[in-house]
Amino acid sequence: MKYKSLLVFSILLTYYQSDAQNRAKGLEEKVQQLTDLTAKKSIIPLNFNKFKEYVKSPPKDYSFVVMFTAMAPSRRCAICQHVFDEYLIVANSFRFSQLNNNKLFFGIVDFDEGSDVFQMLRLNTAPVIMHFPAKGKPKPADSMDFERAGIHAEAIAKWIQDRTDIQIRVFRPPNYSGAFAFSTLVILAGVFLYIRRKNLEFLYNKQMWAVAAVFFCFTMVSGQMWNQIRGPPFYHRSKNGPVYINGGSHGQFVLESYIVAILNGAVVVGMILMIEAAGGVRSTDIARTTVEGKRRRFQSVVGLVLVCAFFSLLLSVFRAKTQGYPYSFLFK
Amino acid sequence: MPASSVEKPLNSPNKGLFNNTAGFSTLITVTVLLLAWLAGFASRLFAVIRFESIIHEFDPWFNYRSTAYMVQHGFYNFLNWFDERAWYPLGRIVGGTVYPGLMITSGTIHWILHTLNIPIHIRDICVFLAPVFSGLTAIATYLLTSELWSRGAGLFAACFIAIVPGYSSRSVAGSYDNEGIAIFALQFTYYLWLKSVKSGSVFWSVCTALSYFYMVSAWGGYVFIINLIPLHVFVLLIMGRFSQRLFVSYTVFYIIGLLLSMQIPFVGFQPIRTSEHMAASGVFALLMAIGALKYLHSLNPKGQWKQLLILGGLLAAAAVFIAVVLLTYMGVIAPWSGRFYSLWDTGYAKIHIPIIASVSEHQPTTWSSFFFDLHVLVCTFPVGLWYCIKNINDERVFVALYALSAVYFAGVMVRLMLTLTPVVCVLAGIAFSILLDLVLREDELPIPQTESEESKSLYDKAGKLKKRAHEPTLPTDNTGLGMNVRSGILIAFMILLMLFSVHCTWATSNAYSSPSIVLASYGNDGSRKILDDFREAYGWLSQNTAEDARVMSWWDYGYQIAGMGNRTTLVDNNTWNNSHIALVGKAMASNESAAYEIMTMLDVDYVLVIFGGAIGYSGDDINKFIWMVRIAEGEHPKDIHEADYFTERGEYRVDSEASKTMLNCLMYKLSYYRYDSGGSPPGYDRTRGALPGNRGFKLTYLEEAYTTEHWLVRIYRVKKPDEFNRPRIPLAKRIISTTNAVSKKTSKRRKGLLKNKPTLVKGKKVSRLE
Repeated sequence: MKYKSLLVFSILLTYYQSDAQNRAKGLEEKVQQLTDLTAKKSIIPLNFNKFKEYVKSPPKDYSFVVMFTAMAPSRRCAICQHVFDEYLIVANSFRFSQLNNNKLFFGIVDFDEGSDVFQMLRLNTAPVIMHFPAKGKPKPADSMDFERAGIHAEAIAKWIQDRTDIQIRVFRPPNYSGAFAFSTLVILAGVFLYIRRKNLEFLYNKQMWAVAAVFFCFTMVSGQMWNQIRGPPFYHRSKNGPVYINGGSHGQFVLESYIVAILNGAVVVGMILMIEAAGGVRSTDIARTTVEGKRRRFQSVVGLVLVCAFFSLLLSVFRAKTQGYPYSFLFK
Repeated sequence: MPASSVEKPLNSPNKGLFNNTAGFSTLITVTVLLLAWLAGFASRLFAVIRFESIIHEFDPWFNYRSTAYMVQHGFYNFLNWFDERAWYPLGRIVGGTVYPGLMITSGTIHWILHTLNIPIHIRDICVFLAPVFSGLTAIATYLLTSELWSRGAGLFAACFIAIVPGYSSRSVAGSYDNEGIAIFALQFTYYLWLKSVKSGSVFWSVCTALSYFYMVSAWGGYVFIINLIPLHVFVLLIMGRFSQRLFVSYTVFYIIGLLLSMQIPFVGFQPIRTSEHMAASGVFALLMAIGALKYLHSLNPKGQWKQLLILGGLLAAAAVFIAVVLLTYMGVIAPWSGRFYSLWDTGYAKIHIPIIASVSEHQPTTWSSFFFDLHVLVCTFPVGLWYCIKNINDERVFVALYALSAVYFAGVMVRLMLTLTPVVCVLAGIAFSILLDLVLREDELPIPQTESEESKSLYDKAGKLKKRAHEPTLPTDNTGLGMNVRSGILIAFMILLMLFSVHCTWATSNAYSSPSIVLASYGNDGSRKILDDFREAYGWLSQNTAEDARVMSWWDYGYQIAGMGNRTTLVDNNTWNNSHIALVGKAMASNESAAYEIMTMLDVDYVLVIFGGAIGYSGDDINKFIWMVRIAEGEHPKDIHEADYFTERGEYRVDSEASKTMLNCLMYKLSYYRYDSGGSPPGYDRTRGALPGNRGFKLTYLEEAYTTEHWLVRIYRVKKPDEFNRPRIPLAKRIISTTNAVSKKTSKRRKGLLKNKPTLVKGKKVSRLE
């Protein structure tokens, strides 16, 4: 027992003796280790021990930006991959920039490898990007707000500059995939045209071009561009069942815009039917028999019904969205 | 018309008029166009009738101010005008930074009327300019559509565009803006272009270029023309529709148009130095190359010319493209500017140019605003497009391209609905005309000849269709559509058109006829109350402040302060200097002392804020505040952090849960200082529906100068450095003690004091001080 306590004491003593040394040396050593790690990979993967050692424990004069994420496919975090890509761009830009002066390191903690870290920081969402300053504890502003800033590398770099005063010029590796896809498409089209060079009649098919143009109009007029930019939900799930039509005139759902496109399309089809039934623009070569007359009458009645019914539907949808709109047709 | 009616009476007056279809259809055309003009003019007068003859909104105030300046000082002085009242301390070279077409147009009208001794005030000309031009737009649309299809379609299109809300939104009386005249110029240029492509005559091309020149002088949207016409030529080339006519019309138009457009000081060398204009010159070069190849072909018509032509064309296109790209990289040609680039890359503005993204009319368009602005036309214009493509010719290629590009741009930006509207009217006019033409025509075959000619001339005048009208000879009743179906269709479409017209009137009246300078509120009993706070405040500024006082406000109100208050502003709606705007935003977003530093730096005398809390006006500065913060953060990322203005949970609030930075920033304090109106708990903010979290505070560096009746506009005076933070001296100490001073009267050197003799007094004072 006595020996034991002596042993403990001596161990303690040696520990304390080496502690002061350890501190000064530890910082240098840590920075050296981190620099080595960074040289290998611009983002340092961290587990619980490493996290404690490099990020949490005190002797440090560097900022650490850590991303907490769940990249495993089983976690089904779609956005994590996007955020990681952007984060990687920032880290790479920093690594190859002139400013790389061991004052800032990038790390990553994956949930499946460092769930203890998540528990320690009481994180229950991913992805999160946090900044651990050289001195003191992280403040609320030290975790990045994706909702407001977005997940672009530029936004991350700006946020880092905000927190650490280190300016990172984001160098985005040129995205060849778009150019590649485009050139592939062009080449394919060229090859296709070359193969069918004997028979290019289909290019002169006005019907096809007209359909394409009219479809483009429907797409735009029904607000697909708005959907693309604003990214609304497909439809709204409320307590009283699904809601397909957004109540305000400043918003819309994806499904709603499809419905509107169909309504528009029906009106157009109805009108074209009517015109064709009445003889069309080139009315000279239509065979005129009694049977033909009946069919045409039927066709134009169908067209008329389509136009009236679907236009009034459109009007009533519009009326539901616009407050105080007084007019309606056929349906309320 | 007059010529034919003179000849007619020789035969028989009654029959002659009906026999002369040309004369009769001219009469109908003229009548319909006049009526369209009248209807268009009248439907734009809601604002004048409800309020008064007043200039609306923001930008029109600047246009009005510069027009008034031009009328007063002459055109050349206007071109050289340096406005030191804007962008203090920088100033603004107005002559070189505006499109002067609008001012010149109304100045010319003013001059003509005054030459005729009609003493009309320039303000009234400015107010009524846009409604008058809407009639001209209707005529231009008529001409354009009759070139494309038929005169009947033209009349439909003219009537549509006269009243359609998508166009009247920018051209109600008082909305004195570039777009009001630019849409006319746009349509007219397109009409002349089609005319010149059809005829291939130099005359029409020169006319196109002149009209294009007018458009360039009127609106920045001329870029749309100078890209669409080359696109038309390019597509025609691809389709193998090259012709001498096309060659002549485009080359003449391009050269003259280029030279003319460079005469506008604001445009200057842009047409040869920026990417937006490169499509035009590229197509010009391509057209030249193909013209040369064709010429070579004509010299030696044998051999593999077709392949050579295609190959040569492709090579020329590639060479032109590579040249443009190289020049861009070398820096000779400026790349696409942000405003245009954001049309392609729709996320661009949001990240890089918050000042563009902050404007509500730069947002994408929902389907309901398409429907609101176009109503029945939105679902009928594809029919017109369909038939234009099915019966394609050189002109219809143009209208198809016009429709497709405009519909794309309108989808990206609400504001560009304006360029879509004319083409939608044209195509919908064509669609309606085709249908009604068919429905009405066959019906009248059994009816006596005179009648049928009359109504035919209504909808069908152009040669092509008229010939066909006679071809279906004598169909028996069984083969036609029958009377019932015809009248059914007719009635249904009349109802649709009627719905359209009431919708247009309703939309123009309710949505687009508010001057936004004078607000109207309606009580529960329908009584109307006019809130004239803006003019009250600007009037106060002009009467009670020094002539050279500098007023700081957010940029939205710059033009109005300059136009109505006649005072110097720091920033205004011409947002050319982002860092200056950011500085003002920073002042608004900082706390009082930091803001005071900026304000003394900028020599600010008064600060003007808009506060809608008392009446529930939602467009006030607190609601715009987050954009001020964002713009300020863009330039001063060290000092301003957007996150500081939100609560922990990321909410934007003004009540007691709001963030500390928010509660102490200048904008907040100026809005809620001494505020005790607005509802049941005094000081309740009706716009945000909350009780402000920081109340009863005092201002150190500013003092309230004026607040309007409904608290809408609040003006503060910035104190001079000697007016604040002075240590308080107790009353007893404020008296300068005179015990040590020796009374002159008691001293031995008693001398008489002469009044008005400064030398003597001076000498005395010096000696006393010693």
